[in-house]
Amino acid sequence: MVTTPVTEGSAPGARRVLSLPASAARNMRRSAASTPGRLFLVGVGLVVLALLTGVVGAIAMQQKQDTIDSLIEHREPVAAASQQIYRSLSDADATAASAFLAGGTMPTELRARYDLDVATAGSNLAKASADVGGVAEAERQVNELAEQLPVYTGLVETARAYNRQGYPAGAAYLREASGLMRAKLLPAAQELYEIDSVRLADAQDAATSPPWFSLALAVVLLGALVAAQLYLTRRTNRLLNVGLVVASGAVVVALIWGSVALLFESSRVSDGREHGTGQVEVIVQARIVALKMRANETLTLVARGDGGEYEAEFEKLARQISGSGSLLVRAEGLAATDETRNLLAAARKNVDDWLAAHRRIRELDDGGSYAEAVSLAISPDAKTSAATMMTRLDDNLAKALRTARQQFAEETSGASNAMLGLMPGVAVLALVSAVGVTMGIRERLQEYR
Amino acid sequence: MRAVRASLVFVVLLLAVTACAGGGQPVDLANVTSVTQPSPVNVEENPAASATSAKPAPTCDPRASLRPDGPLPPEGQMRVGSTMKAIQDRGQLIAGVDQNTFLFGFRNPSTGALEGFDIDRVREIAKAIFGDPNKVQYKVVTSAGRLDALEKGEVDVVVRTFTANCERWQRINFSATYYVAGQRLLVDSTSSATSLDQLGGKKVCAAKGSTSITTIRENPAKLVPVQVDNWTDCLIMLQQGQVSAVSTDDTILAGMVAQDPNVKMVGDRFTEEPYGIGIPKKNTDMVRFVNAVLERSISSGAWLDSYNRWLGNTGGQATPPQPVYQN
Repeated sequence: MVTTPVTEGSAPGARRVLSLPASAARNMRRSAASTPGRLFLVGVGLVVLALLTGVVGAIAMQQKQDTIDSLIEHREPVAAASQQIYRSLSDADATAASAFLAGGTMPTELRARYDLDVATAGSNLAKASADVGGVAEAERQVNELAEQLPVYTGLVETARAYNRQGYPAGAAYLREASGLMRAKLLPAAQELYEIDSVRLADAQDAATSPPWFSLALAVVLLGALVAAQLYLTRRTNRLLNVGLVVASGAVVVALIWGSVALLFESSRVSDGREHGTGQVEVIVQARIVALKMRANETLTLVARGDGGEYEAEFEKLARQISGSGSLLVRAEGLAATDETRNLLAAARKNVDDWLAAHRRIRELDDGGSYAEAVSLAISPDAKTSAATMMTRLDDNLAKALRTARQQFAEETSGASNAMLGLMPGVAVLALVSAVGVTMGIRERLQEYR
Repeated sequence: MRAVRASLVFVVLLLAVTACAGGGQPVDLANVTSVTQPSPVNVEENPAASATSAKPAPTCDPRASLRPDGPLPPEGQMRVGSTMKAIQDRGQLIAGVDQNTFLFGFRNPSTGALEGFDIDRVREIAKAIFGDPNKVQYKVVTSAGRLDALEKGEVDVVVRTFTANCERWQRINFSATYYVAGQRLLVDSTSSATSLDQLGGKKVCAAKGSTSITTIRENPAKLVPVQVDNWTDCLIMLQQGQVSAVSTDDTILAGMVAQDPNVKMVGDRFTEEPYGIGIPKKNTDMVRFVNAVLERSISSGAWLDSYNRWLGNTGGQATPPQPVYQN
C-alpha cells in the first residue's frame, strides 16, 4: 500500500470538491422553490432525457444493423462452410472406398474428385476456424478437424502406395483411414455444423427481438414532454409551446419510424429464417443422411459379406430421407420458390431411383454376383448405377441449398435496407427534440425576466 | 512544494509496483502436447477371454477327419440327396474366406479378385462340384465369425487359415489337414526379441477369435494382448509402432514379411496348427467329399503348384500333410 500524506496545501481544494454534490443539491432545492427555477430544472431534465434516449436508441439501432450485417457476412457463411466441410470429408471417404472397389490404379476422375474434396474441406476449415470467436466447443471441433485431416490423408496415401504394389496392407490402411473418418472427423464436422447453426439462429433471434429498453426510454421521454406541456399550460395559460411541440413531434416521428422499420426488419429476418436458413438446415440434414447412406453402401461391398451392420445402417438412414414425413418432404414444404420446389422434387425422384438401384445391388451381391454388384454401385458412366443416382441427388440438393441460401440473403438484405438511415435518424431526431425543449423552455423563462 | 514531491514519490512507487506485477508471459495460441494415433477399427487391448465352454474339450486327434467314401462323382453330377447336389442345384458354392491375409486369402487390389492358397482350395471344391472353379460366392468372415457362420448354415465351407482343434470339433467338422502351420513371432527388424517370453509387459497383436490370441494371453510372461479383426491390421499396427510384435501362424506372418522387408520372423515354432476346411456338423457327406477332393489335389500335383505359387518363398515345407482318418 502506498499512501500520500495529506498536506495542508491540498486540504481546502479537496474539501471543496467533496462538498460539490451537497451544494448542488442545496442549489436545486432553492431553485425548485420558485417557478422559473422549477422551469429551468424541468428543461434540463428533458434535455438530458432526450439526449440519453438519442444515444441509447442510436446505439441500439447500430447494434441491430451490425447483427444483421454479421448474419449476412459471418454467421450464415460460416454455417455454410462447416456443412461444406462435412460434405467434402464424407465424399472424400466414399470416393476413396469407391476407388478401392474399382481396383487397379485409381481412376483419374476419382482421384480428381478425392483431391478436390480434400482441398475443399481444408479451405472451408480455414474459414470456419477463423470465426470460432471464443466458442470453446466450436474451437474443440475445429482443432480436432485440423489435427486429424492430415492424418487421414496420410493413411489414404499409404493405402494407395500399397494398393499399387498389390498388397492387402493397402486395404488395411484404407479401413483404418475410414474408421478415423467415421469415428473422429465426421462427428467433429457434424458437431461444428450444429454449433454454427445454433449461433446463426441465436443471431437471428437477436435481430428479431425488439430493443425494449430504447423503446421504453422513448415512451418515457414522450410522456415527460406531454407532462411538461400540461404543466406549462396550467402555469402560463398558453395552450401550446412550439418548442415542446416540435420536441414531442420529433419523438413521435422517431417512435413511429423506428417501430415500423423494426417490424419490417424483423419480419424479413424471420422470412429469411423460415425459407432461407430453416430450409438450409433441413436440406443439409438430408444431404448428410444421403452421404452416410452412400458410405454404408460402398462399405457393405468392401466388407464383402461381412458388412451386415453397414446395410442395417443404410436401411435405417433410408427411412429418414424417403417416404412421407421425410426430410425432403419437409424441405419441400418450406420451399419459397418453384425453383427450389422443383429441385427438391427432382431430388426425391433421385432417392427413389437410388433405392431401386441399391435393392438391385443387394440382390446381386447376396446372390453371389459380386462383380456386377460392385459395377452397379460405383460405375460413374452407367445411367442406372447408384453412383450416378447419388451424384444427381447430391447435385440437386446442392442447387436447392444454393436457392435457399439466396432466399436468406435476399430477405436479410431487405431487413438491412429497412434499417437504412435509422441510426442517424434517431440521433438527429433526439437532437431536434433536445433543441426544441431548450427553445421552448427558454422562451418561457424569458417571460420571467 | 511538499505536495509535488509527495505526488512524485507516489507516482514512482506506483510505477514500480505495476511493473513488477505484470511479469509478461509469452502467449501460446495452440498448446498441443500429445496426439492419439489412429488405430484399426474394433481394436481391443487386453480383451477379456472369450467365453468358452466351461468344461475342457475332450481329448481327440484334431487331424483325424472322415474317410472319403469311394471315388469322386463326375463333375456336375452330384449324387441325388447329397449336400453337394443341393449346392449344385443352387448354382454356387458359398465359401467363407478371408480377404485380408496375404498369400492365403486376400483381395488383389489390382483386379479386385480374391486370391491365395486358401482360395485355391475353394476353387478345387467348386471345380469338383460344377466342373467350373469360378462358381463360388465368396463371403468374407472374420476369424471370430467362422464357427457361427458354419453353425448358422450361412456358408457351405470355411477355408480361412482354420486350425482344427478339439474344442472346435465339438461344434463343426473339419476336413483332413491340408497344411500344417505353427505359431511364431514377428517383430520389427531392429528388435532383439526372439521369443514371446522376452516381451513381458509389451503389446502383442493377433486376430480376435484366433488360437494365437489365446496363446498370447496364456503366456506366463504377462504380455499385453491386442486383438484386431483382420490379420493385416496387426501388420499396420506394427508398422505404426503401436504394438511390439505380432504372433500367429508362420504362414500368416510370412505374408506380412512379403509386404514389408523391415519386419522379420524370429524364434522357433512353438505351436502346431493343422489347417482344416470347416464344414457344418451335419454335412458329413460333404466332409468325405472334400477329403476326396483334397486327396486328388495332392496326388495330381495341384496342391504343390498352389504351394509353390503362394508359399514357395516362405521357407515352409513343400510336402503335403498325410491325411489321417478316424477309422
